[in-house]
Amino acid sequence: MTAIALRVNQLLDRRSLPVAQLLLRVITAAFAAILVIGALTTEGFLSVDNVKAILGSTAFVGIIAVGITVIMLSGNLFSLSLGTTTAVCAMLFLFALQAGIVVAIVATVALGAVLGAAQGLLIGSIGANAIIVTIGAGALQEGGAVWASGGSAVFPPKNAPGMSFLADTILGVPFAVYVLVVLAVAGEYLMRRTRFGREIYLMGENKRAARAAALPIVALTAGAFAVAGACAAIAGVLIGAFNQNASLLVSGTFTYDAIAAALVGGSVVTGGRGSIARTVAGAVVIATISDLLLLRGYSTGVQILVKGAVVLVVVVLLHINQREGER
Amino acid sequence: MGRALQPGLMTAPPFIDARGITKRYGPITALDDVSFELRPGEVHALLGHNGAGKSTLVKILSGLVRPVSGTLTMAGEEVTLRTPQQAQQHGVALVDQELSLVPALTVEENILLGNVESPFLQRPGGSRAATREILDGLGLRHVAPSTHVRDLAIGERQLIEIARALSRDARVLILDEPTATLSDTEIEHVFRAVRQVVAQGRSVIYVSHRLGEVLELCDRASIFRDGRHVETRAVSELDRRGLIELMLGDVPEPSQRDGLHEDAGEVATVTIRNLSVPPRVQGFDLTARGGQIIALAGQIGSGASEVLRALAGLVPDAQGDVSINGKDVRLGSPRRCVDAGTVYASGDRKGEGLFLGHSVQLNLVATRLPALTRWGLVRRGAAASVARQLIDVIGMDRKRMRTPVVSLSGGNQQKVFLGRCLEQHAAELLLLEEPTRGVDVGGRMEIHDLVRVAAAHGNAVIFASTELDEVLDLADTIVTMHAGRVVRTLPRRLATSAEILGDMTHGNSESRAGVAA
Repeated sequence: MTAIALRVNQLLDRRSLPVAQLLLRVITAAFAAILVIGALTTEGFLSVDNVKAILGSTAFVGIIAVGITVIMLSGNLFSLSLGTTTAVCAMLFLFALQAGIVVAIVATVALGAVLGAAQGLLIGSIGANAIIVTIGAGALQEGGAVWASGGSAVFPPKNAPGMSFLADTILGVPFAVYVLVVLAVAGEYLMRRTRFGREIYLMGENKRAARAAALPIVALTAGAFAVAGACAAIAGVLIGAFNQNASLLVSGTFTYDAIAAALVGGSVVTGGRGSIARTVAGAVVIATISDLLLLRGYSTGVQILVKGAVVLVVVVLLHINQREGER
Repeated sequence: MGRALQPGLMTAPPFIDARGITKRYGPITALDDVSFELRPGEVHALLGHNGAGKSTLVKILSGLVRPVSGTLTMAGEEVTLRTPQQAQQHGVALVDQELSLVPALTVEENILLGNVESPFLQRPGGSRAATREILDGLGLRHVAPSTHVRDLAIGERQLIEIARALSRDARVLILDEPTATLSDTEIEHVFRAVRQVVAQGRSVIYVSHRLGEVLELCDRASIFRDGRHVETRAVSELDRRGLIELMLGDVPEPSQRDGLHEDAGEVATVTIRNLSVPPRVQGFDLTARGGQIIALAGQIGSGASEVLRALAGLVPDAQGDVSINGKDVRLGSPRRCVDAGTVYASGDRKGEGLFLGHSVQLNLVATRLPALTRWGLVRRGAAASVARQLIDVIGMDRKRMRTPVVSLSGGNQQKVFLGRCLEQHAAELLLLEEPTRGVDVGGRMEIHDLVRVAAAHGNAVIFASTELDEVLDLADTIVTMHAGRVVRTLPRRLATSAEILGDMTHGNSESRAGVAA
């Protein structure tokens, strides 16, 4: 407690602190207080089972968000077709299971990567706006999926080969959570240590400078979208296995939830700054809030409302704070 | 030499009287107990290195930041400026270095924008005559108030900024590097406007790195160093050397010209024939060798920058026979040009050069990642050691390695940028656009030395500059350009500043025609 008192004193002492920063700190503190109080007073929140539940509900969105972060870091805003890609990939996965589980997984991830890369190529080569291209590409994917499936949901073949592990839990934690952890760690490594990752950060920070310095803009953009497509495909595989059926309805709110996770994590929409780890943290924060509201018996409407409010407040404050920092 | 002082100027009570001003940013003291006074009717220069404290003082006087301590008196009344609007109400108008016009609005709308006297209802009709008069006074007769700012050249935009400040009937006009992007004719217009303003009894605070302008235009100069006020002197008592001495604390020796270094390995050979860069440049020819530093001297719009951009592959429809080290280069792609051995440093270091949010280290190695990568992984040890070599070359403290570039001063940013571009011991073609734009005297000399060393090691250097001083200082061959064409090519030792300036401003043929008439 003395540490907190000291901190408060420090805060009050710095009169020159810009208002926005002060506001950010106050709201962050209030937010943390609400969370702590909520956690302490809500029955069942601080239990191992609930932590597992939070992680479980984060996994699918988190996996897609890892991919969307790479796009965001590359300075191409975000893709609005990743949810559709997830659904299309879930459908392909269940369909392709008749050729065996390994073939199905490889084919699905490849499809996701190709779908992403194609959009990235278009965006990188002609400098098109990512949002517009991905809206169009989303509609194309939807159309293609409806055409190929005849508009009905896809079910796995009878006696489908061992895909149950995809929907299983290990030590009480869903398999998808392990996949998220592995993807997040691998993604961080990709972005921090490889030439591809470093150049994505550079291009996202300043695309004109990247062009003048002859960085491979087209390849990097295609690569970023391919990574995102592959992540969406992996989510599709897991969702298909979990639901045992797949249609376009699968896409749901995945696209927006993934964007929200990246934004709450504090990655900068215009690129270059942020990280996959931050995005995963953002996804966990959002899931924690939803879980808390659920446990306290609030309706779905309230949950969505609060989630929206949190995203809005955090994003605005981070933006203001960042601007102050640049002065 | 400065203007003759108006009678009574020395004795008039100061309009601005700042005493004991201190400002800290975190642990850094930007201004330390600084006093400054501004008299009515004077042009007062603020001089100093980047980071000396002049920008901070300007920000305090215009209400952008508040000092930790000290008093500020304006027109005999003690004031506290919390916002730029309050400064404006006290008659202080800042013309910023960074252009703050709205491109999509008209000249007139931009001039009215943010004027506290007409915050909501704007009646352009009523002020049109006044706007016209101000524009005419700045030599902008050809600009209609209804022109969109996006259609104006950058120099004209700078003049519109000044027009905006004048329209507010400011008693003090603060010009922060007003001429950095202007051509000589445009600079003349700014000078005329400044003289007009002070003739009306108003005052001008003039921040500039260009000592020639200070000597020509200003009455008094306050020199700052490391956040302290060194001295305020009448400009008529000073010359260029005196100013540099006061700014730096000591006078650096002019560097020796090296020529080609003895241990230079391969030496670059570059031939450019019949280069055209639509819409302006045509029939550009040039031959360059390693060790040579060639200036393309011309004003904005002369085509000098366009030539560099074309050689860097950044102009898709540029054409010409270019060969580097015996190999033909097809223009139009940055990748192809870099592979052929060109290195381009844009004049727009923030927009097209640096990755501002990233560290000094990443900026230094940004274009070298392919060579530092094995199996897709960046070899961190190798990257760090290359970065250390480069940071030593540019003479910056290794402790800055992890600092984001955005927090460095303009001069240091430029050094990092050029450090990235300067490959030592290589036969490459270095294309430098305005290599010292916005850099102070000390930084400028260091950067010129870097360029000379790079040339001495076998690189061919072509730089574009609008500044006569820089052209004469750095180049050993000068190519003057005007209106998209080469006026003439001559070795530095045969060039006089008057000739070069004449070529840059009128073009050869026109000036001859003028003589004949």
